[in-house]
Amino acid sequence: MKFAKFSAVSAMVIGLATAASAADYPERPINMVIPYGAGGATDISARTIAEPLGKAVGQSLIMANVTGAGGATGSVAVKNAKSDGYTMLFARVGSHSVNPAMKATLPYTLDDFRFVTVYEINPFACAVEANSDINSMDDLIAKVAEGGVSYSSSGVGSGLHLAGAMVLDEFGVEDPLNAATHIPQKGGGAAVTAVLNGTATFLCTNSSALASFVANGQMKPLMVTTKEPVVGFDAPTAADLGKPALHQLVGWTGIAGPADISDEVAGKWGEWMAAAAGDEEFVSSMEARGSIIDVMSPEDANAFIQEQYTTFRALVDKLGMRIEG
Amino acid sequence: MSLMDSILAGLSLVGNFEAFFALFAGVAIGTIAGAIPGMSATMAVALTLPFTFSMQPIIAILLLLGVYKGGIFGGSIPAILIKTPGTPASSATVLDGYPLAEKGQAGKALGMALWASCTADLISNLALILFAGWLASFALNFGPPEFFTLILFSLTIIAGVSGASLLRGALSAMLGLLLATVGLDLVYGTNRFTFGDPSMMGGLNFIAVLIGLFAIPEVLAMVWDPKPHKGQTRSLGDNKVTFGEYKRCFKSIVRGSFIGVFLGSIPGIGAAPSAFLSYSEARRKSPNRDNFGKGELEGVAASEAGNNGVAGATLIPLLALGVPGDVITAIIIGAFMVHGLQPGPMMFILNVDIIYGLFIGLIVSSVFLFFIGSVAIRGFKYVADIPRGVLFPGVLVLCVYGVFAVNNNIFDVGVMFVMGWVGFVMLRNDIPAAPFLIAFILGPLLEDNFRQAMLMSGSSPTILFRGPITWFFWGLTVLTVIAIIRAGIRATRTLKRRA
Repeated sequence: MKFAKFSAVSAMVIGLATAASAADYPERPINMVIPYGAGGATDISARTIAEPLGKAVGQSLIMANVTGAGGATGSVAVKNAKSDGYTMLFARVGSHSVNPAMKATLPYTLDDFRFVTVYEINPFACAVEANSDINSMDDLIAKVAEGGVSYSSSGVGSGLHLAGAMVLDEFGVEDPLNAATHIPQKGGGAAVTAVLNGTATFLCTNSSALASFVANGQMKPLMVTTKEPVVGFDAPTAADLGKPALHQLVGWTGIAGPADISDEVAGKWGEWMAAAAGDEEFVSSMEARGSIIDVMSPEDANAFIQEQYTTFRALVDKLGMRIEG
Repeated sequence: MSLMDSILAGLSLVGNFEAFFALFAGVAIGTIAGAIPGMSATMAVALTLPFTFSMQPIIAILLLLGVYKGGIFGGSIPAILIKTPGTPASSATVLDGYPLAEKGQAGKALGMALWASCTADLISNLALILFAGWLASFALNFGPPEFFTLILFSLTIIAGVSGASLLRGALSAMLGLLLATVGLDLVYGTNRFTFGDPSMMGGLNFIAVLIGLFAIPEVLAMVWDPKPHKGQTRSLGDNKVTFGEYKRCFKSIVRGSFIGVFLGSIPGIGAAPSAFLSYSEARRKSPNRDNFGKGELEGVAASEAGNNGVAGATLIPLLALGVPGDVITAIIIGAFMVHGLQPGPMMFILNVDIIYGLFIGLIVSSVFLFFIGSVAIRGFKYVADIPRGVLFPGVLVLCVYGVFAVNNNIFDVGVMFVMGWVGFVMLRNDIPAAPFLIAFILGPLLEDNFRQAMLMSGSSPTILFRGPITWFFWGLTVLTVIAIIRAGIRATRTLKRRA
């Protein structure tokens, strides 16, 4: 723990308590922790919003990738940081609703953070390899009954892992953990490769991660989890298939601080985000990557994440997926 | 569109000052970053990425590729001069590069590293241009069972880099395998040897372990016993590699390049294992086998060919399949996406100008690498003239800074120092560090692929013998192990006869 605190303190380059009043916030650059690696979906999303956001904030934003343990390392660094609003985290569906729901040993809980916004929603989609004889969700479910179906994910306790199990469960597969084999990979890229080379039958992941493979004709989408169809994905929505519960299964990116950041700070972030998300260039480049820009107020963001967490947690407990020890 | 049209379309895209300048700047940035201990090629690419968001796509990607290529070569400079691989891929270069520097032949070693790097780079780029489609579909045949057998075979490298005592090498490798198990379990997601510390959940940082193992023991050794080093400098020595020497190593360079191309085109392995494999193959085949590890120019050539051979080939899965092959290409694929490009088979139809623009840029980058590399060698050679009492504290500062910057995490710096003491104890007892490193890289790959294969087959081991690729690697492994045992028996016999 000592080291973790150390790291939090030094990584954030925080000066001593200057006892700045909220009115002056921000009077110096703000450290933004990205808990995932460079070039990944979170990193790209964070760096894209950093541009308009920096203008709205009026101070520079110092972006730092603190990676490891599926986003836990960076999240812990922010959890332990001073709650003066000068250290904020780019939180993600994996690190802040799937992980807390699945991992008993996670060194943080949702209560350790206060969300100031969720600004990007990314639908999930399920896909198989293009030459597969599976053409619809019904085919897939029939195949599962025959046995020998497997799905890949970016790791145990990842959003992809949960998504695979949740989709099978919703489609009435009994005991989805044993009916289909979960083959964890290291990272989202490897998860897609596993489906391409036949290691796994299907995967459910962010539509942005699949978009290029679908456009290139390497993969066949079976379903998207949103109400509305997703551009470029010639597949029915969860609503079309009569599974509204799957609407909860969406990726998102948001910004959070340590649990006890003040209302003033949260309020300011609400204003900044509203201004930043109006930036046309930001919106068009995010939408080109398959995301939906939907800026939530701090209250809405907290409610949204709590609801998703509760849904996931209920599923995890029902299927006995919780990872202990 | 005919080939000529495609080439012209590509040329129109990159045939301007901006594109070539980006490429040139990229190679220069990469070479310098790679030459700084602790600043790996991966970090250099990651740091450059945000600057490319506002550029034109082709220029952004050429810049990043330049940084990548420069970084992989730049890493060999500190590996040779101060026994600190600037980037993991150049760890194998240390084995013979540093002894050469000790002998006062640093200039020769650096020159050979450059020649080998550029040759391998060119071969790798040509392989990408000519065989991308074929190699990519071959790489898709690599599922977990094939990977497992390939990694198992690669572990036999340990025998090649163990030096005099295979037992000591095996000890070192076991230690590496052990430490590689720290972190989250792949299949169950449970904590392994983390002792309840969240910082350990991500496993031990690779760069921290690398720097700790190679650079810190040298510093400790100097502090421990400063007298013999007092004011000592080494001459850079003869700066030129003769054509005869290049010719002598040419076979190893080409072999290394092909190993690099092969391993690079398969997603998930990376440049470091390729360099080690190329090195150990060169050692096995070379008439100067006994000189390897003591300052053999061919060893430097083979390792540098092995790692630069990967650089062009990792773009094969990226461009042909849209799949990143290693950490660096994972970052570069991010750059593609930022610019709305979707790498994959369709890109060869939709964005053929960009593809051919990239090809042209890649070929030119080999040339740039050669010129910038020559200048860099001339610039960095003064490092050899700095007295160690001044040089080593500077290196220590750079190492601490670099390891911290990888992940903005002070814990990694702690890991580096602990590994430094481990490395120091190993150094004192003549336990080689290279097998540790190989085991540390390959151990997790071996375990993960084995367990994925077992998941696929429902725990039936027969899956490890599916298809010709697995049989090929099983065969290679058995042959190599037999050769190692025979060499061992022969060595004991000679010893006995002498006694």
